[in-house]
Amino acid sequence: MNIDLLLPAIFFGLSVSGILFLVSLGISIGFGLMRIINMEQMVYYTFGAYMAYTMVSVTGSFLLGIIAGILVAAFLGFLVETQLLRRVYGKELMFTMVVTFSVFLIGIGIIQYTWGLDPKPVSSPIHTMIPILGVQMPLYRLFIIATALVVYVLIQIMLNKTIIGKAIRAGIENPDQVQGLGINIRRIFTVTFVVASGLAGLGGSLNAPLTMTGPYMGFDMLLFAFITVILGGLGSIKGTLVSALIMGQVISVGGTIWSPLAFVAPFIVMFCVILWRPTGLFGVAGKAFGFQE
Amino acid sequence: MTRLIKASYGPLVLVFFFLMARYIFPNKMTFIIELAIFSIYVMGNNILYGYLGMVSFGQPFYLGVGAYATAIYLAHIGANPLIGMLLSLAMGLVVGLILGPAFIRLRGDYFALINAATCAIGMFTIEKLLLPITRGDDGLWYRSRMSQIPFLDIRMPDKFFVFALAIFLIVLILYNFMDKSALGVSFRAIKDNENKMKFLGYDTFKIRWIGFSLASILSALAGSLYAINFGFVNPSLAEPHRAAEVLVATLIGGAGTVFGPFFGTLAFLGIKDLVSRYIAHWELAVGILTLLVLFRFSKGIWGNTEAIINEKIGRKKNRTMEKLLTDKAAT
Repeated sequence: MNIDLLLPAIFFGLSVSGILFLVSLGISIGFGLMRIINMEQMVYYTFGAYMAYTMVSVTGSFLLGIIAGILVAAFLGFLVETQLLRRVYGKELMFTMVVTFSVFLIGIGIIQYTWGLDPKPVSSPIHTMIPILGVQMPLYRLFIIATALVVYVLIQIMLNKTIIGKAIRAGIENPDQVQGLGINIRRIFTVTFVVASGLAGLGGSLNAPLTMTGPYMGFDMLLFAFITVILGGLGSIKGTLVSALIMGQVISVGGTIWSPLAFVAPFIVMFCVILWRPTGLFGVAGKAFGFQE
Repeated sequence: MTRLIKASYGPLVLVFFFLMARYIFPNKMTFIIELAIFSIYVMGNNILYGYLGMVSFGQPFYLGVGAYATAIYLAHIGANPLIGMLLSLAMGLVVGLILGPAFIRLRGDYFALINAATCAIGMFTIEKLLLPITRGDDGLWYRSRMSQIPFLDIRMPDKFFVFALAIFLIVLILYNFMDKSALGVSFRAIKDNENKMKFLGYDTFKIRWIGFSLASILSALAGSLYAINFGFVNPSLAEPHRAAEVLVATLIGGAGTVFGPFFGTLAFLGIKDLVSRYIAHWELAVGILTLLVLFRFSKGIWGNTEAIINEKIGRKKNRTMEKLLTDKAAT
């Protein structure tokens, strides 16, 4: 493999990382804070992508599509959290997994019902190419990378500087203690969940021009997102960012070396991580992490 | 022996209904055959989810192993479907025994995900790495190569129906027998409270391993039956996406019951058949039904029916478990 192919692959990998980071944040936080495995995050991702498609084909404005994607995803997240997930907090992990998985199935069903089974193409809103280090790079992918970085910085600021962010961090450590301090942890859960699902919607609408928007697009992304979260360590946002960067490169560079690797290489990474380092890169071994007690 | 005979009453009744259905709806033959095969597949998953409480998102892999073991044998080596089936069973056992120790010590969610990863990697191996043997996406075709087995020409659908039903009956009787045996009771006890089980001196790791291997064997058997039934196999049989189907069927029917898998399969395949005729796909209806089962009828279709029947007859539930525990306490 020559260097001409390697550099674009790395840049493309960065944009894949951006998407992965946005969509897997919800799973990571959901596990760290609420102790549930929310597989239905990918519903918001798929809805985001479909909103982008609808807005682009109706109004022609991609920006509107992104906004609609975020809003719809956040609203769906609010609905699911307040109506359903409240009943599963504190239940065993397997139960939450199955419940959220059936929500995921319902979401797929609604999408099939609304938009049909055929994949919908969304054309890229920006066609400009920008030369970086002698490589022609689509501006749109740079835009994705920049968005993901901005989101990361905003989340760090929110977690470290605001009261609600501090409450979230404390909640990840010990939810009961936070409740004992007189903070309404349930409201914190809702806020976090809505933000996370909004970000998944953002990821979906950003990813719509890069992939085919279809009802099953969430399935592949679900597995990739879980690999990202597990590699980074459940509940760690920094870990999610780092592992998203790694996974983006694994997918992109691996796919450049031999195209089927783009699909299977992440699974090989997941296989090795679970067997040899189940806490992930930044995970902490404790009561919620790693092997069975 | 008497227990084995006792265990065969229920399955015989079920098979009788199968035969009735076969003659009442003669044009629904493919559906009824698939019902029998898929039930075996769901039974395998039921051991994992219903008895041991482990969710697996990679069951299609074990199905694929069985299907491809039979298919490769029939397409390249021999012609006797029965030997292909035995090979599938052996492959299922080997895969279960090898992967088991590495997987079952993991916590629930990791167990589910590593199975998904195994499924993706395994199907990739079959599709891309073993391309000369499996012919990748095109699939293997071997219907014309299959020979008939003694007494039955299972290349004919109505003869294959008898064959599949016979296998289903045997599996179901053994399954019912296992449910009442010490093994089934210890499976359930592990799900209830593993620490207590350990404390009582049972090697829970070994019991889980047995359960995992059994699940793998049953899935491989179902895969093998699919392979013989269709006369060809391609990777779409075992796509990672299809992991949802078997899980959902287990849940709907009643996790951890003997006849739950059959009723779950009936409901699932029935919904799939009916809904896809009117709406585009089955996910919406099945998802809502699953949520309903999870929150309202936690025992599933058969579990709730069984509870009603038991109440009517006044039979004490969990009699075997109590007996076992008192025996253990006495010694």
